Amino acid sequence: MTDSLDLVNLSISEAAAALRKGEATSVALTEATLARIDQTEPTLQAYATIPASRALAAAAQADRELAAGRDRGPLHGIPIGVKDNCCTKGILTEVGSKVLAGFAPDYDATVVEKLYAAGAIIIGKTRCHEFSCGGSEPPTRTPWDLKRFPGGSSIGSGVALAARSAFGAIGTDTGGSIRIPASIENLVGMKATFGRVSAFGVVPLAWSLDHVGPLTRRARDNAFMLGAIAGHDPRDANSARVNVPDFTAGIDDGVRGLRLGIEREYFLYPGVTEAVRAATEAVISQLAELGAEIIEVSLPELAHTRETLITIRMVESASYHRELIREKGHLYSPGTRATLEIGQAVLGTQYVAALRARERFRAAIQALFRRENLAALVSPTIPVPAPLLSDVRKPRDDMDTGETPTDGFVHHVYPANLSGQPALSAPAGFTPEGLPIGYQLTGRPFDEATLYRIAYAYEQTQDWHERQPPLVYD
Amino acid sequence: MRHLEQHSPPDEGAERLVRFADALGLEVAPEDLAALSEQLRLLEALERDELQDYPPILKLDADWHD
Repeated sequence: MTDSLDLVNLSISEAAAALRKGEATSVALTEATLARIDQTEPTLQAYATIPASRALAAAAQADRELAAGRDRGPLHGIPIGVKDNCCTKGILTEVGSKVLAGFAPDYDATVVEKLYAAGAIIIGKTRCHEFSCGGSEPPTRTPWDLKRFPGGSSIGSGVALAARSAFGAIGTDTGGSIRIPASIENLVGMKATFGRVSAFGVVPLAWSLDHVGPLTRRARDNAFMLGAIAGHDPRDANSARVNVPDFTAGIDDGVRGLRLGIEREYFLYPGVTEAVRAATEAVISQLAELGAEIIEVSLPELAHTRETLITIRMVESASYHRELIREKGHLYSPGTRATLEIGQAVLGTQYVAALRARERFRAAIQALFRRENLAALVSPTIPVPAPLLSDVRKPRDDMDTGETPTDGFVHHVYPANLSGQPALSAPAGFTPEGLPIGYQLTGRPFDEATLYRIAYAYEQTQDWHERQPPLVYD
Repeated sequence: MRHLEQHSPPDEGAERLVRFADALGLEVAPEDLAALSEQLRLLEALERDELQDYPPILKLDADWHD
């Protein structure tokens, strides 16, 4: 048997292989993960709820099934964290808010049902910003630097993976909330195509922008997780009726001949720091060396994605929360309440204008992909590495435009939420100070497999994903 | 439809938003309203100049290249 620390360092693929070779058990994986949680949680606070006894019982069942020859696939017996905005039957689902204090749903979100069906062990509910918006700061800290912003709103999902207190995690992404923590925590995060993963049972932020997806430490693991949670769901009106492929089937086919677009005016604008710019250029060069064709492209319509998404998000959030605020407004933190209800002041015509602007952007990016026969766009995930917590919403010292780090985040991640295209963040390197940098791939609708193929090809050329954060929790 | 748009200057838009927020009893900070007003101003400018041919329909299909 492998020892406890070695176990939590395994990728999902490695842990799955160890289970099948008899080198580990699901109970051992779960116990090792719970021990890691005990070690890291006092400092990092990645989890809102840890149903330890349920997890151990599920792990024992997973071991019995494997011993009996019932193999549910690569997630069978693997401890997975689930963002606390996903309903879990009989397990607290508080979405970081006093409004839902003590709420234990009587049903599972579809994504949770699918994880159970795949044999995954729900190790805990990961912390998120209150109702998945940034109106208040959770106590969660990143092991890369306790003084820095840990990402959001799938904050606990990212931190748990970085700290090795989960093998994979579920996040949600309305305006970058999977990809931002993935970039900051040195992870692979996939916001799949809108409708690819059911949002049934996930507390909404904005129905037409919400996406559910996986975070992992490796590209292949991410493909396994997406395969487990994707699929049409009649309980989600936005769920797409498309087949779910084996996302790992062509993952090692390489990138030779793939046409990758680079849009510099928007994605490499002056707000991109030198370290992030250099890392992104290095990724592009490496992909070119592997045989990808790099195409310089232009997409002026990117310029209006911020105001378009913000308008849609604010109105849809205000609609969802209107009754809840009327009943329990005093329980929201003031910043969150303001963020969630301000959309009531937006005119109907302004909301429709935003919907029309979204369609204009979607049509423009689709035309670009068709015209250039692109497999993906390559960009930085976010223009800056993790800022100090005290600087997240302050104007940057290195710019004279008044831009804050948060402004930079949304600048890069909003476009894919608007268009609904799949977008993946993966490790691109580190700053001289040792902070992770991520790159983003934006792909064709329902072609997540190609993004995994590109990410996997790049992953094979470097060891960024193997680097671990400093032992801040000892 | 440029001729139908009587566009408000930014400060007027912000004042209108403040009036709405007051009427609705929203507890929102003036700076948040000002920020939203600026986003809406940008959006309205886009609507005036660029959105004539775009109805509010989001459609995705798997046959992106067909």
